[in-house]
Amino acid sequence: MVGGALVFLPAINACKSSGGELTGNYFLNEFGIDESICRKLLAEALSKGGDFADLFFEYTLSNYLGLEDGKVNRSYGNISLGVGIRTVKGDQIGYGFTQDLTDESMISAAATAATISDMGPAAIGSSFAKLAKGDYYPVDPAFNGIPGESKLPLLQSLNEKCFAQSNEIVKVNAAFSSDIKRTLIVTSDGVVAEDLIPSGFLYAAVVAERNGKREQAGWNLGGRRDFSFYTDEVVDEIVTKSVNNALKLFDAKQPPAGEMPVVLGPGITGILLHEAIGHGMEADFNRKKTSTYSTMLGKKVAEPFVNIIDDGTNRNLAGSINVDDEGTPGQKTVLVENGILTGYLHDKISAKVYGVEPTGNGRRQDFMNYPIPRMRNTYMTAGDATPEDIIKEAGNGIYVEDVSNGQVKIGEGDFAFYVSQGRMIENGKLTTPIKDVNIMGNGPKMLTNIIMVANDLEFYYGGAGQCGKNGQGVPVSFGMPTCLVKSLTVGGTQQKGGRS
Amino acid sequence: MKTKELNLQDLANWVIDQTIKAGADDCKVSLSKRRMVDINYREHKPEVIKEATTRNLYLEVFVNNRYAGHSTPDYRQSTLGEFIKEVIAGAKIMEEDPYRTLPDPKYYEGRSQVDIQVSDPEYDQLTPEERHQMVKTVEDSCLEEGGDKVISVEAGGHDEIYEEFVKSSNGFEGSAKNTAFQIGASMTAQDEGDRRPQGYNYVVTRYKNDLPSLEELGKKAAERTLGLFGGKKIATTKIPVILENRGAARVLSGLLNPLFAGSIQQKRSFLADMKGKAVGSKLMTLTDDPFLPRGLGSMLYDGDGFPARKRDIFREGVVNEFLVDWYYSRKLGWEPTSGSISNIIIPPGTRGVDEIIKDLGNCILITDYIGGNSNSTTGDFSVGIIGKLYENGEFVQNVAEMNIADNHLKFWNKLAEAANDPWIYSQAIFPSLVIDDVVVAGI
Repeated sequence: MVGGALVFLPAINACKSSGGELTGNYFLNEFGIDESICRKLLAEALSKGGDFADLFFEYTLSNYLGLEDGKVNRSYGNISLGVGIRTVKGDQIGYGFTQDLTDESMISAAATAATISDMGPAAIGSSFAKLAKGDYYPVDPAFNGIPGESKLPLLQSLNEKCFAQSNEIVKVNAAFSSDIKRTLIVTSDGVVAEDLIPSGFLYAAVVAERNGKREQAGWNLGGRRDFSFYTDEVVDEIVTKSVNNALKLFDAKQPPAGEMPVVLGPGITGILLHEAIGHGMEADFNRKKTSTYSTMLGKKVAEPFVNIIDDGTNRNLAGSINVDDEGTPGQKTVLVENGILTGYLHDKISAKVYGVEPTGNGRRQDFMNYPIPRMRNTYMTAGDATPEDIIKEAGNGIYVEDVSNGQVKIGEGDFAFYVSQGRMIENGKLTTPIKDVNIMGNGPKMLTNIIMVANDLEFYYGGAGQCGKNGQGVPVSFGMPTCLVKSLTVGGTQQKGGRS
Repeated sequence: MKTKELNLQDLANWVIDQTIKAGADDCKVSLSKRRMVDINYREHKPEVIKEATTRNLYLEVFVNNRYAGHSTPDYRQSTLGEFIKEVIAGAKIMEEDPYRTLPDPKYYEGRSQVDIQVSDPEYDQLTPEERHQMVKTVEDSCLEEGGDKVISVEAGGHDEIYEEFVKSSNGFEGSAKNTAFQIGASMTAQDEGDRRPQGYNYVVTRYKNDLPSLEELGKKAAERTLGLFGGKKIATTKIPVILENRGAARVLSGLLNPLFAGSIQQKRSFLADMKGKAVGSKLMTLTDDPFLPRGLGSMLYDGDGFPARKRDIFREGVVNEFLVDWYYSRKLGWEPTSGSISNIIIPPGTRGVDEIIKDLGNCILITDYIGGNSNSTTGDFSVGIIGKLYENGEFVQNVAEMNIADNHLKFWNKLAEAANDPWIYSQAIFPSLVIDDVVVAGI
């Protein structure tokens, strides 16, 4: 196997000893991580006290193949290997990490973590137990990534089909990115959790030319999947979306600027939920009182037909997790139920502050970072209306089909996202395509302004969605039924009334 | 954290030797290591202490015009042999690309030896106690200035030392060492109703002694937060805007990305046919200066190994130079100019922002941005803004939930004045910029 999944394993001191509940784990077999060294590291991390400590071992192989000008002509790869060691005292965190899995380096990292406290040693659990966790992205335990040879024909097929779809396509870029991540979490309160996480995406981006004008668009599909997902049908969907979206932009215009009704189409528009609402419900912002939602728990935040979920258990979605990155099982968390804010997204630190169980939202980019509350797959459940009813009800406004680049100001609740594909709604009907406009709003206000929800919930099956927070990126996904927001600000270049 | 000292040069020589022996025509290896420390404070106690050393080996191989580039953190020769074989195997399955080679070595010649002063010789003297004290000082001054409006203050400091050694099989060799110090605070305050504005003030420098007064830094973070109170949208209007110095690069980046040769060759650049043509007003001069002493973007060689060179990218509104790296220079049949950007500088004007506002009468000072995007193929952009509305030269209210949208080919022609306040704590050293007649969308 070459090119796609490097099989190179920098074995350190494999098979040092059997390891109790750690027996059979990947890191024991390959790197000699047994119970004895884990105990030693946890003891060092808690040598100056603290509430708990944890170890996060990671070994990730990443590979990217790219096509440009008709040739698959670039292969990039990365090996990420190391352990992050965290000591927690109240809401204080000591963190050390090392890429060198020798006892000496790991103990040094544990000693760094220990500096957050200055008391006497704290005890660790007397025994370890394997965590009972879900299986939301089933994969062969021997899976070692998608080989480059397998990716090549798919990229060539994408290229050929994009050009075949329209003679107005002048450039095609395509890529197949994938990684396989192995993790081992060992906590001072005796939890051991191991996971094998496949992820990736196949994407195409095209440039179309018509009468001297150019437009571009792209699409990707993927998630937490092995190679079996990437069929001809997947290639065809990416081709159709990319090409049709680019061609549609030749007829697109920027809508008038100002406040107007906005209809969010199903699927990827769930970014709006993620930005406008989800981030504000991450519990670290709330325990610090910096979120606009920090005083709204148990209160009405939306109409009774609005329900919002953050879910780690959706099969194969990009944000699904069998176990979070601090040893809590993946689960489904209700944020808004019948219009009432019922809970936040917790890691272990915030759960203790609020006196609740962690919700499995403690996630991190990699072993170089400590976990913080993060979303997984965030969606609104389906309502009773039909999409047609909603467009009719909107009257005059805009319909949003594809969005990107969302951002929120947590304290104010103000958010923005960029509409790359959409249409005008005029007299209750979809009309001219629109493009390149920003939608602005305020999260809590928007939530109360959702006045209709349709029966067509769709999830976003892309694999390239990354959420950034505190310098850490983690894969996420979204879901959304068509819904009507009474009013949002649309940023255009024309003032209402046609003055430019 | 204790780490083993690595001789990067010897290891690079060994990797190149082994890679050629294993069947590569050419190769390039970049070895780097970074030591970093993060300390955050909240409520007068450390919230996070994080410290580590990282290292990386990035190997690019060229085999019969086929290419692969892979990285690993493992420097041990005992395992690198297998890694090298895998990278070469990865390249061999690629399709042949005649443009994919190392640069012609003649382009490596002429590198300046000027001292760009990017490594603080006193870095190692910084103690853990001093790091804590610096962050505490910022936190204390922010809390004091914020007073009873404070909901939360988080102060943070980050410092790092970075070293790299780069060598290619056809004669390029370069090394760099730099340091960085970042410190500042963010504050959340209680506004009317449920609004909790968050403001921040962070700076980054190469030398510790170049950091501004830490008391002033924390105080400014509080002032910027309190200066967000009452933010709300106004009716959509066409009005002059001032892009505050520290954030102006957010908008200008949409004008830079289409200058890269990759965008041009891939037909994703609205500036592809604009070389020598005006795209902005006469005030639009943008210089790329890699030799700026202590500059955050200062360098002696670029990503291809070409000698760094001072150049005007835009000169008095005219596109003066595209950003052409080796690979795309071959695809386009152009001479390479460098596809790397160092410190980008817009010359400051003579007047302060306050004086300009008095003169403009009605305007919006844009102090921050949310979301947005810029289309490199068409030049259209749209971005959310936060700022301050002035009428008759006097402050009227803060604005939020608003948006500006335009096309870069129109927008920069409306650049009317540059203020005298270049923001020096960035790779983009821009003064505040006055743009006439911008549609700011709100109600």
